[in-house]
Amino acid sequence: MRYFLGRTLHAVFLLFGVSLLTFLFSALTPGSYFDEMRLNPQISRETVAALRAQYQLDRPLPVRYAHWLNAVAHGELGFSFAYNSPVGPLLWVRARNTLFLTITAMLLAWLLALPLGVWSASRFGHAPDRVLSWTTATLLVIPDLVLALGLLILAVRTGWFPTGGLASLGFENLSPLHKLRDLASHMALPVTALVLATLPMLVRHVRASVAEVLDAPFLRAAVGHGIPHSKLLYSYALRAAANPLISLFGFSVGTLLSGSLLVEVVMSWPGLGPLLLEAILARDLYVVISGVLLSMIFLVSGNLFADVLLYWADPRIRIAASAK
Amino acid sequence: MQPLLRVENLVKHYAAGRPAPPKDKFAALDGVSLSISARTTLALVGESGSGKSTLALCIACLEHPTSGSIWFEGVEVAGLHENQQRLLRPQIQLVFQDPASSLNPRWTALEIVSEPFFVQGRFRKQERSDKACTWLDRVGISRKMVSRRAGELSGGQKQRLAIARALALEPKLIVLDEALSALDYSVQAQVSNLLLELQSSLGLTYLFITHDCAMAAHVADEIAVMDRGRIVESGPAEKILRSPGHAATRSLLAATPGVPETQSVLVNS
Amino acid sequence: MTRPRKLTKWLVALVVLHGIVAGAGFFAPYDPVEQDRDHPYLPPMRVHLMDAQHHFHSRPFFYPLRLREGSFDQYEEDNAAAIPVHFFMRGADYPLLGFVPSRWHLFGTDGARIYLLGSDAYGRDQLSRILFGGQVSLLAGLLGAGVTLFLGALIGMAAGYYGGWRDDLLMRAAELFLALPWLYLLFALRAFLPLAVSPFKAFLLIVVVIGMVGWARPARLVRGVVLSVKERDFVRAARGFGASDIYLLRRHILPETASVLLTQAAILVPQFVLAEMTLSFLGLGVPEPISSWGNLLTSLQQYSVLVSYWWMYLPALAIVPFFLGYLGLASALQQRSGAYKIDEKSSWSPT
Repeated sequence: MRYFLGRTLHAVFLLFGVSLLTFLFSALTPGSYFDEMRLNPQISRETVAALRAQYQLDRPLPVRYAHWLNAVAHGELGFSFAYNSPVGPLLWVRARNTLFLTITAMLLAWLLALPLGVWSASRFGHAPDRVLSWTTATLLVIPDLVLALGLLILAVRTGWFPTGGLASLGFENLSPLHKLRDLASHMALPVTALVLATLPMLVRHVRASVAEVLDAPFLRAAVGHGIPHSKLLYSYALRAAANPLISLFGFSVGTLLSGSLLVEVVMSWPGLGPLLLEAILARDLYVVISGVLLSMIFLVSGNLFADVLLYWADPRIRIAASAK
Repeated sequence: MQPLLRVENLVKHYAAGRPAPPKDKFAALDGVSLSISARTTLALVGESGSGKSTLALCIACLEHPTSGSIWFEGVEVAGLHENQQRLLRPQIQLVFQDPASSLNPRWTALEIVSEPFFVQGRFRKQERSDKACTWLDRVGISRKMVSRRAGELSGGQKQRLAIARALALEPKLIVLDEALSALDYSVQAQVSNLLLELQSSLGLTYLFITHDCAMAAHVADEIAVMDRGRIVESGPAEKILRSPGHAATRSLLAATPGVPETQSVLVNS
Repeated sequence: MTRPRKLTKWLVALVVLHGIVAGAGFFAPYDPVEQDRDHPYLPPMRVHLMDAQHHFHSRPFFYPLRLREGSFDQYEEDNAAAIPVHFFMRGADYPLLGFVPSRWHLFGTDGARIYLLGSDAYGRDQLSRILFGGQVSLLAGLLGAGVTLFLGALIGMAAGYYGGWRDDLLMRAAELFLALPWLYLLFALRAFLPLAVSPFKAFLLIVVVIGMVGWARPARLVRGVVLSVKERDFVRAARGFGASDIYLLRRHILPETASVLLTQAAILVPQFVLAEMTLSFLGLGVPEPISSWGNLLTSLQQYSVLVSYWWMYLPALAIVPFFLGYLGLASALQQRSGAYKIDEKSSWSPT
């Protein structure tokens, strides 16, 4: 229990630190930001003055931070100037879209990586393993941006998949099954890009961990007991190799919101990424801060989740923690 | 006559979690007092963990004692300010146990022995080189070896190099912290004879720390026995070896091969 | 003995690649900003040795492209005029290595232009733009890595050497920076700085921003080295001669960090080049008319370009051999230093 408390406290500290950092960044140029707004004919002078008063820009920094913290604690994430609406609802919709994508991609990637990695480790050094290693090495050398753009061009020229957005026109009129198919076809491209980006590293990790375990004496003993090969690999070897993989899984969860930014922008998927980018270009202050904060919460929670998972899965850590 | 070095009631506590010499991780000094006369050798014997290295570091001004005093030539050094200590440092030098760790393996022998001059800001480049070569020669490292990297030298050569470095600033007191313990027996004999020879020709004073009583017997004029942070027995070497008083001394002697109580092997008397 | 050879192999490859980019003026046939509004979006042209009448030419040549009849975006070769390609000819001025004026180009044409990799919306030669763009992107990556390593080394040494509350504070800050999503931080930093600045200022800005984002990992690694080295007896011995802290850091501790810093450099440079590409692609980096690999790709954000002008994707591939080279170098360096471990945190993705 103390272990969790410690880790949670750590996470909370991290969040505070990030919120402070983000706030400081934003506070660096508030004056000029509102100056730009003043120049914008669409926003009346009174609105600017009111907003300035509301956000208490004339007050010293610590006061502003406290005020902002207070607002966030009440769920008021600020106001988006570009969309002319409160930030909250905007954020949730986009975050939901992003999660659709990243959760699917993550599950797919892991479902592929585990068998591939285990299989590769079991044939360590032989032809199939080397082919796989070579493939992952090649994929690793191609950066996300290049991959995403390449897939996009491929899709456009073949016309197999829609290249943008979440749903086709007339989506509401489709039957549930067709809705699902439509969604899937829109998701195909970005999910593929994400999977291709994360799969090589995952496979490598699985392969490395399992290969290390396959050498262990306890496994040889199991072979001696006559346990079938596949059960050996999955029930025994994989379990023993699980630790680093569990941590990795936790970290992956942490990047669910932030890892897909580029892919979303390139593939025109209406998620958190494009929102953040637009907000940055439009100097939409509160959207940026809230977006960053939300991703950070995910990241920090992901780390915490990884710790919890590891604690639950590995008895050694439980013993070590309770011994403290 | 005033002793060269006098230590009075030295106490050293290590706060929890602070870095400490690995050998003495939990050791402390618990009121150590001793004195060394000029041009003599005091052997400090004791088991691992008795606090010997800590004492060595304190005397060499590389650690601050918690309380107590250290007098060098009548000057109290433990409480001195860093700048004043810097002036005093050339007088007291330390030779460490493990030459692999005490010499930067990437540096050449020449660079290592010239370093003290460089740090103290003495002499110009060519002079530094010449003086370093002189010392290297003195300890028996040939000209050919001078530009070899420390990592390439043998154990005995490395320790000679460490001694040459310690001599460079012409100190009055050299503290040898288990300096021979890591060497082969035959090499030990060679290096200890070198040390004795240097002592008589240069008028050096040694604080020779060891757990090996045979070695102590070979080099020491006086012996002090340390156990758990305290000096439990001290006196002329012959007396301690012949008739040890304290239990710690007796167990040390019993554990050391080659020192039958009936025989004493002294060279310096 | 294969290990040093492996290292050399990668180094040579990288030197060659960088050399080509550094000598962009020589290898590129044309000035990258030179426009030709009559020939927008031309597809890549082919070099021939055998002409339409099956005559063999000793000098390579090309056929200019003309619009196919009845089409406004399909091109075909105009077999009437064969234009030779000259090697080592004088062409547009360019500053070799930034300051020596030179006019020599590896190859070029007299008259009509040969677009080996196609042309963009303004008729600018893509090959030339890619080569010159590489200078900007690579420089940004190298400088950014320099800033990060400098910061990281400084902070790592201070934390490791002085310890105490300074160490705690710095390492907590490092943890914070490590926890932040790379790309987001990059964007956020860039965002809160003025957007509409001169290209040079923009370049400097992104170098600084990129550099400031990644200091945490090198700092931690350097701190680890410092912690282990500062307890070594040769450091104690030097202190025994009265050496100052600065002396110890400079002459004994810093050289020990070299291997860690080098490996980090090999890992960071390609990541930072990619960061510049990403920023510029999204409009937050180097602006036109200066080309960088990133802003050469911005046209791909338009659907029409994606459909019809596939060669506009080629600048994206330019970074791949560099990634390969640096990845190989990093791996060889890690093998050499014995740290042969897949570090999950040093993944290639900027997030």
